[in-house]
Amino acid sequence: MELTSSLGLIAPEILLSVAGLFLLLVAAWAGDRASSAISIAACVVLGAAFFLVAPSVCAGAAGLETVAFGGQFRADAFAGFAKLMIYAAAGAALVVAPAFFTRYAAMRAEYPVLVLFGTLGMSIMVSATDLLTLYIGLEMQSLAAYVLAAFLRPDQRSAEAGLKYFVLGALASGILLFGASLLYGFTGTTQFELMRVAMAGPISTGTLFGIVFVLAGLAFKISAVPFHMWTPDVYEGAPTPVTQFFATAPKVAAIALTARVALDAFGTHADAWRQVVIFAALASIVVGALGAIGQTNIKRLLAYSSINNVGFILIGLAAATPQGASAMLVYLVIYVAMSVGSFVAVLMLRDEDGAPVERLADLAGLSRTKPALAFCLAAMMFSLAGIPPLFGFWGKFVVFQAAVQADLVALAAIGIAASVIGAFYYIKVVKVMYFDEAVNVVRDRSDWAHWALLIISTALMSPLGYLLTGPLSVLADRAAASLFFLV
Amino acid sequence: MIGIEHYIVVSSILFVLGVLGIFLNRKNVIVILMAIELILLSVNINFVAFSAFLNDLVGQVFAMLVLTVAAGEAAIGLAILVIYYRSRGTIAVDDANRMKG
Amino acid sequence: MIQAFAFYLFAALVLASGAFTILARNPVHSVLWLILAFFNAAGLMVIVGAEFIAMLLVIVYVGAVAVLFLFVVMMLDIDFAELRSGLVRYFPLGLAIAVVLAAELVLGVGAYRAGALELGTPAAETAPLVGEANIVSIGALLYGRYLFLFESAGIILLVAMIGAIVLTQREARADAGRSQQNISRQVSRRPEEATVNTRPEVGQGVQL
Repeated sequence: MELTSSLGLIAPEILLSVAGLFLLLVAAWAGDRASSAISIAACVVLGAAFFLVAPSVCAGAAGLETVAFGGQFRADAFAGFAKLMIYAAAGAALVVAPAFFTRYAAMRAEYPVLVLFGTLGMSIMVSATDLLTLYIGLEMQSLAAYVLAAFLRPDQRSAEAGLKYFVLGALASGILLFGASLLYGFTGTTQFELMRVAMAGPISTGTLFGIVFVLAGLAFKISAVPFHMWTPDVYEGAPTPVTQFFATAPKVAAIALTARVALDAFGTHADAWRQVVIFAALASIVVGALGAIGQTNIKRLLAYSSINNVGFILIGLAAATPQGASAMLVYLVIYVAMSVGSFVAVLMLRDEDGAPVERLADLAGLSRTKPALAFCLAAMMFSLAGIPPLFGFWGKFVVFQAAVQADLVALAAIGIAASVIGAFYYIKVVKVMYFDEAVNVVRDRSDWAHWALLIISTALMSPLGYLLTGPLSVLADRAAASLFFLV
Repeated sequence: MIGIEHYIVVSSILFVLGVLGIFLNRKNVIVILMAIELILLSVNINFVAFSAFLNDLVGQVFAMLVLTVAAGEAAIGLAILVIYYRSRGTIAVDDANRMKG
Repeated sequence: MIQAFAFYLFAALVLASGAFTILARNPVHSVLWLILAFFNAAGLMVIVGAEFIAMLLVIVYVGAVAVLFLFVVMMLDIDFAELRSGLVRYFPLGLAIAVVLAAELVLGVGAYRAGALELGTPAAETAPLVGEANIVSIGALLYGRYLFLFESAGIILLVAMIGAIVLTQREARADAGRSQQNISRQVSRRPEEATVNTRPEVGQGVQL
C-alpha cells in the first residue's frame, strides 16, 4: 500500500526514466539521423511531466501525503515549483540544440537522452529529504552534465571545459559527501526531519563541520563565491546550448536543494549557517559584478552575471523565512526566463559562415543590422540590471523586501548598492549594440524556434510580466509554505 | 582501545591527502582522478565506521551507493580525459589554458 | 588485542599508500599504490564487521576501477622504457608489498574471527539482523526500504555508460585515419589520377 502511493508520487520521475530508456533504444536503433525526432519526443515528455507536476503546485501540496518511500522523497509544492522551472528550462535547451550542433556535424541522438536523465536527476534532487536521495540525484545530474560539457568533441575548449567541470565537480561531491558522513555519524540519521530533531540543542563540533562541508559542496553546485572559479571557463568552453542548460535547470535544482537542506535539515541552527549564506551572497554579488567588467566574451559575461544573480537569490535564503523562500522562488522564475532569453539571443548571433559569434566587439552596431534581435538582447540586459520598468526589477524588489522583513537591512542595502555597480556592464552591452560603429559581422539565419523562445522570454521580461505577479506570488507563497510545513 | 575517533582520524587524513593531491598535482590529470578516488575512499571508511558505531546499517547502504557512483564517475572522468588527450596530445593540467581564468 | 594491532597496521598502510598515490612520479605506480590503499581500507572495514562492503571494495575497485585506470594510463603517454628499467629496481619493494599483503590477509582473517571491533552501540532503527550475515541484512534493506535509491543508482550507471561511449566512440566518418575499403572508388580509379609525373631539379627531393 505504501509502495503504491509512493509510486504515484514519483510519477513524473517514472515518466522521465521510462521515456529516457525508450528514447535511448530508439537512438541506438535509428542512429544520429533520428536525433531531431528524439529531441522533439523528449520535449513532449518534458511537457507531459510538466503537466503531471502542475496540479500539486496549484493545490499547494504539503504534509504527510506528499512523503514517499518512508521519508526519502517528498513531492510537495516546493519541489513541484522547482520541477516546473527545471522541465521548462530543459525543454528550452533541447529546442535550441539541433541548429547549433548541426554545424559541427556533432548532433547526436544521445544528447536529448542525456538531457532527460540529467533532468531526472534534478527532479530527484529537489524532492530529496534524505542525504542518500540528495546524493543520488546530485550525481545523476552531475554525471550527465560532465558529459554534456564535453559533448562537442571537435572543439578543444569543450574537452577542456568538461575536464575542469569534472575535476572540480567531483571534488565538490567529495566534500559534500564527507560532510554527509559526518552528519550521519553525529546525528545518527540521514533523513532531514530526524536530523533536525537530533540537532536540537547545543551543536557538536562534528555536526558543525558536517554542515559547513555540505554547504560548501552545494555552494559549488550553485557556483556561489568562493566556489565559483569553474563557472566562467565552463560556461565559455561548453557548447552554447549546454551552457544555457547549465545556467538554468541545474542551478534551479541546486538552489532548491540548498534551500531544503538549510531550512529543513539544519533548520534548528539557522544562525549557524545564516552567516555562511550571507557571506556567500554578498561575495557572489560583488565578485559577479566586478568580474564581468572587462570581459570580452559574451558567454563569460553571462557566467559572471549568473554568479551575481545567485548572490541575490541567496539573500532570499539568508532571510530563512517563508517570505524569503517565496521571494527566492519568484527571483528564480525571472532568472530562468532572463537566462534562457539571453542565451537564445547569443545562439542567434552567427557570422557569415554560420559560426557562433561570441565576442562582445562583434556586436557593435547590431541595432542597425538586426534591430529586432538587438532590441530583445537589450531588453534582457536591462532586465538583468534590474532597471524598473522591466520585470527583472520585480525579482530584486521581492528579495530585498524579504531581507528587510527579516532584519537584514544592511545586507539589503549592500545588495542594492552592488546591483547599481552591476548595472554598468549590462548597459555596456547595450551601448556597444546601439552606439558603436557597425561592424556587420552578424548574419541571422535562425529558425522560428529560436525566435519563439526569444519572443516569449522578452515578453515575460517586458512590463507585461507584471501581470503575472499575482498568480506567481500566490504559487510561490504556497510552495514556500510547503517547505516550512514540518511533518 | 580502538574507538570511533581513530577511524575519523584515519579518514580525515585520507581526505586531506586526496584534496592535497588535487591541488598539488599539476603534471598529470590521471593522478587527480586517483586523488578523487582517495576522497571517496575516506568517505566510505567514515560511513562504515559510523555504521558500526551506531549499530545502524544505513551507513553501509550509503557506502554501497557511493561505491556505485564512484565507479560511474571514474568511467566518465577517464572518458573525458581520453578525449582531452586526443585533442591536445597531453594530460598536464598546466596546459589547460585555452581559456583564461 | 589482535584487532587493535590489525587496526594500526591497516590504518598506517592505508595512509602511507594514499600519500604515495599522490606523490608517485609514475602514474602506473600511483595506480598500484591506490590498489594497496583500497586493500587496506577493506581491511579496516572487515575488522568492524562490514565484510560485504569490504568485499565490494576489493571487487569493484581493484577488479574494475583500478584496471580501468591502468588501461587508460597505458593508452596515454607513458614511457615504457623507463617502466621496464624500473622493474628490477623496484622488485624488492614489490616483493615486500606482496609479503605485507599476505600477512595482512592472515591477520585480517584472524581479526575477523576474533569478532568485530566494538566501537560503541547506540541502538538504531536499522540494526543488523541478529544471527544473520552482514550481506543478508544489507540486502533486506536495499531491496526493501531503499528500493527507489537502488533503482536510481542503476540509472546513474546507465548514464555513466552512455556518457563514456558517446564521448570516446569514434564514428567512421569522423575517423579519416582508419583504412576502410571503398570498392566503387577503387574500381573507378583511373591511371591519370593515380600517378603524377614530376621532373625534379638535380639535388632536390620530390615533393609528394
